Amino acid sequence: MSPGSRVAPPDRARETPLVVDDIRFAYGKTRAVDGVSFEVRAGEIFGLLGPNGAGKTTTISIISGLLPPESGQALIFGREAGGASGASRARMGVVPQEIALYEELSAIENVRFWGRLYGIRGAALEPAVRLALARAGLAERAKERVSKLSGGLKRRVNLAAALVHSPDLLLLDEPTVGIDPQARLHILDVVKSQAREGRAVLYTSHYLEEAEQICDRIGIVDHGRVLAIGTVAELKRLAGEGPVIHLRGEIGVDRLQEMAGRLAGVSLLGSSGGAASFAALDAAACSALVRDLFQSGLRVEDLRIQEPNLQSLFLKLTGRELRD
Amino acid sequence: MRRRVRTILLLTLKDLRRRLADRLALALNLAIPLAIAGTMALVFGSRPGEEPQAPKLRLVVADLDGTPATGIITGASQNQEAAKHLDVSVAATREEGLSHMRDEHFAALVVIPKGFSDAMLSGRQATFEVVKNPAESVMPLVAEQGAGIAALYLSTGRRLLGDDSKTLAAMLQGDDWQDSAAIAALATTMYARVHGAGNWLFPPIIGVKTEQKAAGGTNGFNFIAWMYPGLIVMGLLYVALMQMRDLLRERRSGTLRRQLVAPVSVAEVLLSKLLAVAAVVAVSMVLLLAAGALAFHIDWGAPLPLLATAAAIVFTTTGFAALLYSLVTTERQGEAFGGILVMVMSLLGGSFVPPQVLPGWLQSISRFTVSHWAHDALRWIVAGGGWSDIAQDLLVLAVLGATFIGIGWAGLSRRYARGAL
Repeated sequence: MSPGSRVAPPDRARETPLVVDDIRFAYGKTRAVDGVSFEVRAGEIFGLLGPNGAGKTTTISIISGLLPPESGQALIFGREAGGASGASRARMGVVPQEIALYEELSAIENVRFWGRLYGIRGAALEPAVRLALARAGLAERAKERVSKLSGGLKRRVNLAAALVHSPDLLLLDEPTVGIDPQARLHILDVVKSQAREGRAVLYTSHYLEEAEQICDRIGIVDHGRVLAIGTVAELKRLAGEGPVIHLRGEIGVDRLQEMAGRLAGVSLLGSSGGAASFAALDAAACSALVRDLFQSGLRVEDLRIQEPNLQSLFLKLTGRELRD
Repeated sequence: MRRRVRTILLLTLKDLRRRLADRLALALNLAIPLAIAGTMALVFGSRPGEEPQAPKLRLVVADLDGTPATGIITGASQNQEAAKHLDVSVAATREEGLSHMRDEHFAALVVIPKGFSDAMLSGRQATFEVVKNPAESVMPLVAEQGAGIAALYLSTGRRLLGDDSKTLAAMLQGDDWQDSAAIAALATTMYARVHGAGNWLFPPIIGVKTEQKAAGGTNGFNFIAWMYPGLIVMGLLYVALMQMRDLLRERRSGTLRRQLVAPVSVAEVLLSKLLAVAAVVAVSMVLLLAAGALAFHIDWGAPLPLLATAAAIVFTTTGFAALLYSLVTTERQGEAFGGILVMVMSLLGGSFVPPQVLPGWLQSISRFTVSHWAHDALRWIVAGGGWSDIAQDLLVLAVLGATFIGIGWAGLSRRYARGAL
């Protein structure tokens, strides 16, 4: 489960939908991607989970050939996406974070255009377009102009445009940002069905629940680095069995540090602005911390005990919460 | 190769379909140059079915001499033929004339000083003054040139009269005015002198043949026909810029990046964008040429030179737009810089005033603008010019267009390589 240990050896790369090997990229002096490595297998949904600015979109841009990595490589079925032939890009479908559609055209015109651009022609085009629209639940709204559709429906057209050519690898960059729960569930169902059909899916998100719900494996990223990779169960184990205690009130950092140092099995994960988080090794350590807090005379306004999950793992790995 | 051509066509048609889908925006886009031309036509009074006329030369004359000879000048506009082209207002003093010129927007003030007739007829140096109105554009220059011609004619006339000018001066001053015999004798002498000079002067060795291209079947000066080519070029530059702005709009919406992650090269994307812009500019040009012919009776001459000129203008204006949008990073920057540049180029290139009236150094700069060469070519076309007249214009336009597209292409490709497209 160490971040760099999951990369396929070169001879296997041609069969693996996506191999990302130690890619790095900086915008000026800001390092956006700093040695990211992972692979996505056929039929698998791999999630890149991290806060905004963690480097997820830059990673997708490098994979899809929009940005050349400073070092390392991203291989789609053994080929770099930036290659002149475009052969690897033809096997890839990308759902960008923004709604990248032509608002003046209808949903079906948009999907038809992207289908043609990916080389679908003649008699094969219309069935492919209808299928993509049906999968996105847009069969009855196909002739409406995109500008007239709601945000959720636009997101679905955005997805249909990436599915029309039946790609082997699907890259989804936060495809559910800013939409209602119903539309979100529909999109997640479509993504799951794509994986069931054998497609490899790379899914980036900063929504923990989404990642837990659909991803077979997850890579947790922050500041351009992959901090941990594994299945949801593996990552939860990595988070430990003990709970995380969050508290808010009039609390001094020095007192909290002294408390964490004194109590066995308790560590201070972080504190700022009248809020702090502790990790407890087990239930006994958790009880000791809570008892000590009330006896210390500190004015605690709110106290919350969280069972180990991806949120607590992220907190343990980065010292801060992954906020939606 | 076939795949490339198919992809470029697909991307180009997509843009054209988007334009057609938003018909109102397209109509407004195409209407801009037509609206400018229509407004100009209204301003300068040339309407369909009307005989176009040159604007009148409006003069204030301060006749401080007040003799019958100078009265001929002040009364010039009473002549029916002269009144078509001349509007003369009389002032009693120089100051009154200046005030009148300023307030009533006359092109110039002509001051005839006291003793002018006397000096002229007695063979001394005689001078009259022309004060040009700086607030007017072209007509003060016409007044100045007209005054120069008038001075030349008066000098020649005076020399033809010779010693008889003294008799004529005395008659004009009222002495011997009743002497019919003297008048007859003077007339006979003057006729003989003029007739004698005529043997030397006529027929002139060098002649001028003036051909007026028919504008709606009339022989009058069609001001809008002179101005319209400049408006076409200005309008097309605006249309090209507005169309090329779509590149940044696509970047903002993410569709450009989405195209670039498809099996499409950046060259295919850029070329298709240029073709789509050129297509809309070409349609605009056809509409503007048709509007010029139908509404303003402009004769666009032979079809092939016109076609070549139109193609060169479409190519260069599209290149100009590509260059500009390779330099700016936001749509607002494009609108602001584009608007300013088009206006400056139109002013320097002769859309509003002939480049010849500009100072020399501005005329030199003018030659580096698209407008200058495009106007020149179109005006030659309107004047009935042929290939030899427009060859230089077409060559310069082609070189300018290719240079613009080359630099623009390099800039946009560099932006793509940086991941900033």
